[in-house]
Amino acid sequence: MSHAFARARRNEMLLAYALLLPSLVFLAAFTYWPILRSVWFSLHDVLLGDPDIYWVGAENYLRLLDDRLFWKVLSNTAFYTLTTIPLSIAAALLLAVALDSKLRGMAIYRSAFFYPVMIPSVAAGMVWVFLYAPGYGPINEALTRIGLPRLDWLYDSKWALPAIVLMSVWKYSGYFMLILLAALKLVPSDLYEAARLDGVSAWHRLLHITIPLISPTLYFVIIIGTLHSYQIFDYVYVMTQGGPADSTNVLTFYIYQNGFQYQDIGYASALANALLIFVLGLIGLVAVTLGRKVHYLGER
Amino acid sequence: MTDVPQTQLSVPHRGLHRGLLRRPHRRLHWWRKVQNNWLHLIMAPLALLWLSPMIWILVTSLKTNVEVFDQTAGFWPHKLTFSNYPSTLSVAPFGTYLINSVIVTASILGGQLITITLAAYAFARLSFPGKSLLFTLFLLQVMFPIYAIFLTNFVTLREMGLVNTIPAMIVPFIASGYGTFMLRQSFRQVPSELSDAARLDGCNHLDILWHVYLPLVKPTLIAFAIISVVTHWNDYMWPLLVTNSESIRTLPIGLGLLAKADSGADWPRLMAGTTIVVSPLLLLFVIFQRRFIDSFMHTGVK
Repeated sequence: MSHAFARARRNEMLLAYALLLPSLVFLAAFTYWPILRSVWFSLHDVLLGDPDIYWVGAENYLRLLDDRLFWKVLSNTAFYTLTTIPLSIAAALLLAVALDSKLRGMAIYRSAFFYPVMIPSVAAGMVWVFLYAPGYGPINEALTRIGLPRLDWLYDSKWALPAIVLMSVWKYSGYFMLILLAALKLVPSDLYEAARLDGVSAWHRLLHITIPLISPTLYFVIIIGTLHSYQIFDYVYVMTQGGPADSTNVLTFYIYQNGFQYQDIGYASALANALLIFVLGLIGLVAVTLGRKVHYLGER
Repeated sequence: MTDVPQTQLSVPHRGLHRGLLRRPHRRLHWWRKVQNNWLHLIMAPLALLWLSPMIWILVTSLKTNVEVFDQTAGFWPHKLTFSNYPSTLSVAPFGTYLINSVIVTASILGGQLITITLAAYAFARLSFPGKSLLFTLFLLQVMFPIYAIFLTNFVTLREMGLVNTIPAMIVPFIASGYGTFMLRQSFRQVPSELSDAARLDGCNHLDILWHVYLPLVKPTLIAFAIISVVTHWNDYMWPLLVTNSESIRTLPIGLGLLAKADSGADWPRLMAGTTIVVSPLLLLFVIFQRRFIDSFMHTGVK
């Protein structure tokens, strides 16, 4: 009897491994092997397409610490992530709260804010190059019309990165709004009704009822936002190629420049590892600072 | 657990309600109407602002090139110019790009549906040593999208001789930690009595997976499919890196090339190209709005 039981368990185990195998093969080949390999590459002098590689120890990392452009690129990346995520989540939250109040035409509004997610990043980037064009672009036209000074946007090293941030808020808020809307639907409406009858203002209802109750979802959206911020590569590639004066050069793009344009795989791998550490650090930071404050409704 | 204990707030509410007569209730209704209309005053311009880039694409694609650079020309085209569409189709083989995009997106989705279904069943219903470690490995993949590890993946594919082939655009995405997670959650909600009954009827695990589980999780499969298609249909970086010939490029890459060749010289033609590239997904979105919205909406709740 116990023998048959043991055999059944062994069969279940074998079946489980067989079912996981297809995924594991691809995960190993295209997710985990590349990470290990990039650690290995970063300790070597490797040129793209050159079979000879030389051990250089920590040299690539020492070079990285000395590379002033690396620090600039890192601070650009941090600036982009730390402005885009809070701005788009704040916009998403306000939109979600407004649409949650059973507004008529809600479906139309929802789609109007969400559709940018459907647009390929390259198309979005291109259109915004047009919109930002200093001479004939509609944004400058609009600024002139309301009496504000015209800006050079993507051609101005001070404004180029904020311009990409603004575009990203347009691109992603709708997605975050949808996720937050789903969470808002789960907040019991008598809670609002009661608070409203008690004379609690809309702002305080948002701050003391809505945000604490949907905090698990907010937390999730922050993580998703961090991962989406990788996509800035597409915008930089299409809109500015890192310029002007490297003011929009970010880590993903700098890795591309070193690996593909200068063929320096060793140094590019060291940069790639820096990117992974940056993102994991950011997510870790979010988990430690916000993860603890997250409130769960009911037993969860 | 929460800052606002439910009972404390709902008790005065119930008391108030009992004490109120019909009239104030009607006043509340009226007040809500005012409040809603007031919201429209903010939301409608905002929605228009959000829509304006798309409107700009469409309007510009119907202008002449002279009008674009003429600041006195105004917003609407002087005369509708449809010739930008044939002209953009003649400079770039959008038909080939479209076919390639369909092949790449469909192959990725097909591969993903197979791998995630099998893996999710193992994680949801079987017990085996190393389960939680393996599950963590699947989940961690979400943190390492192609943007973070493209460099070594490119080197690997080059060694395999796959660069500049259609499979190069497909293979890195076949395994999906995110999809496995999503489907595992749904599988776990299937009552175990159902599979136990099937077990007693002599079905093996694969039969149960196929005949009991998959039909029940169809909404999750559709949601995952929509998200996967939107992601990979629009993907830019990876196809850009691994392709360098016209015959295997996808729509976004083709559009990027057209933009580079034009470098802002012929906006109407470029915007006609953009319209062609964005319209397949946007049309599907307009037709299956509910499905799309629901899919993206529930990525967060689980």
